[in-house]
Amino acid sequence: MHHAFKLGDAEHNLELSRSADGYRLHLAGITVPVNLHREDDGSALLTVDGRSERVLIATRGDDVFVHLGGVAYALRYEHPLQRLAAQGQGSAEDHVRAPMPGSLVAVHVKPGQAVARGEALLVMESMKMETTIAAPRDGVVEAVHFAQGQTFDRDALLLSLEAAAGEGKK
Amino acid sequence: MKPIPEPAVLEATRARAAANMLKFDTLLVANRGEIAVRILRTVQSLGLKGAVVYHAADRNAPAVRMADHAVEITGATPVAAYLDGKQILAAAKSCGAGAIHPGYGFLSENAGFARAVAEAGLTFVGPTPEQIELMGDKVRARAFVAGGGFPVAPSAIEDDDPATFAERALKVPFPLLIKPAAGGGGKGMRIVREPAQLKAELERARSEGQRYFGDGRLYVERYIENPRHIEVQVLGDAHGNVVHLFERECSVQRRFQKIVEETPSPALDPELRSRICETAAGIARKAGYRNAGTVEFIFGAGGEFYFLEMNTRLQVEHPVTEMITGKDLVLEQLRVAAGEKLGYAQEQLRSEGHSIEFRIYAEDPARGYTPTTGPVLALRPPQGEGVRVDSGIVQGQDVTAAFDPMLAKLIVWGRDRGAAIARADKALAEYALLGCITNTAFLRRLLNHKAFVEGQVHTGFLDAHPEIAAEPALDPATLHQLLAAGALVTRPMRDVADLVPDMHAAIGSWSN
Repeated sequence: MHHAFKLGDAEHNLELSRSADGYRLHLAGITVPVNLHREDDGSALLTVDGRSERVLIATRGDDVFVHLGGVAYALRYEHPLQRLAAQGQGSAEDHVRAPMPGSLVAVHVKPGQAVARGEALLVMESMKMETTIAAPRDGVVEAVHFAQGQTFDRDALLLSLEAAAGEGKK
Repeated sequence: MKPIPEPAVLEATRARAAANMLKFDTLLVANRGEIAVRILRTVQSLGLKGAVVYHAADRNAPAVRMADHAVEITGATPVAAYLDGKQILAAAKSCGAGAIHPGYGFLSENAGFARAVAEAGLTFVGPTPEQIELMGDKVRARAFVAGGGFPVAPSAIEDDDPATFAERALKVPFPLLIKPAAGGGGKGMRIVREPAQLKAELERARSEGQRYFGDGRLYVERYIENPRHIEVQVLGDAHGNVVHLFERECSVQRRFQKIVEETPSPALDPELRSRICETAAGIARKAGYRNAGTVEFIFGAGGEFYFLEMNTRLQVEHPVTEMITGKDLVLEQLRVAAGEKLGYAQEQLRSEGHSIEFRIYAEDPARGYTPTTGPVLALRPPQGEGVRVDSGIVQGQDVTAAFDPMLAKLIVWGRDRGAAIARADKALAEYALLGCITNTAFLRRLLNHKAFVEGQVHTGFLDAHPEIAAEPALDPATLHQLLAAGALVTRPMRDVADLVPDMHAAIGSWSN
């Protein structure tokens, strides 16, 4: 088993097991008794290492949101299979993603067009500021996934480059 | 805390509305989000009908659910829909609205729209188109204010007489700020501290202006170090009565946008307070101003203040003024628009206690305050005495990148500033919104910062203290709590754990 949660940029490996009166959380080198009791009002009582605290938890797919001690946190469950697959995938530079949510102001390239590293591909607007999105490498545009004026979330796939040609074809 | 509005004013206006003595029985809100809800609340409390326009992206928004009529409008983008005056006027006609409230932003300071509303025979809840035009033109507004003998920052404008510009610039008190006449966004601006450096700096600024804007003309004005932003709420009726409703300090900003606003300002003593408030009322009086408005000043460490601009609309931060005066500013706007007199004099207005507003933004302060998006999976706003939440979101709604990232405002009131801060800290901790990152934890770090507690802030405060925006390191106990919560609600993890026979669990053996 290789369970993990992503919290911010950090990844945490962990396991869960049963105990006589609840569960045990196994982290690198330590084991902590834990339990969770759902309350009628939608909140929950989280007990960790004998200390109980009221929390509010919401989930959506693999995202877990926790309001704890007056602060909201976001965690993402990392599927064991996906983590394995991610290691064998192609270059991240084939995918141009949105650095922040916003809308597309201008599209400078078309599918099939050859572009050089650093060349302006798209112009997006967010927070009343324009940001130019440049080509991460030399290549050929495979697809532009949004049209001018459309809005998108952070990390949305804006543009794809054709997979890089093999070394031998140079 | 004073009741808002004063019950007598509410009763009297409700009676006039019932007797058909206002010019309208239905009012259309040409806005969205929390301000649409805020305006509808007062409109409906008067027994009037409240209508709202909405873009499809806002279909599930609380204002749409709350309104007596909701009319869908369309546009190339959601924002464009709310800027389309023609569609909004047609919507007003279709639901029989006799008045339009523009809120803030969008069409609220558009003289052409105000004119079109009047020409269609409807009441525009705002100033005259001429007043919007005067204050919307920053150069004209500045000249108008200076002409009345009110303080504007000492300056020299090249265009006034290019031949004597350098000479006139030397007479402005140092330090100076050189600005390109065609500029904006801080580009090409230079600070000059020594008169001997002026000539060389003017040349550099001119070449930068030429490069950035294709225009080398310049002007200089006195540079205020670490300025505060202090503004004054004014209110005028169509009969020449003008009062001020005290000041608001809005110095805590990021990217020139306000985050926290409070009243009274911790920077003012009673004498200075009455001077700045009287100056604002004087400017509004000179303009014959009708409607709620805000006169903004830049305030220096030596107590000097200069006119910046006047906003001819309701402000985002108007609630703090309501909390200390008991006046419902939307109700006052409606009364004035209906032709009523204010009915009270300056001496009858009293400020009581301290109020602070915190803007709840969908943004990540640790990532340069960039906007965030996501579904509102759970929403539990704080409640209690002295706590007010003006919100434009409900559970189940999506926060998208289509609009401004402000989701709601938390407004607190306390007997004094310390009590208000304590109340805000508790309320922000209780403010649970899950599914989309917001700035509530950042706001708590901010209000507990020594400089904020002592009232020592200026507009560059957050840039000078980047540690407030930075995500604090998680302590191990909190990390364990979070991972435990995550593991216990994640099915694949729980299923695996539950597969282990209870007997093994009871023995307590575990091997990896």
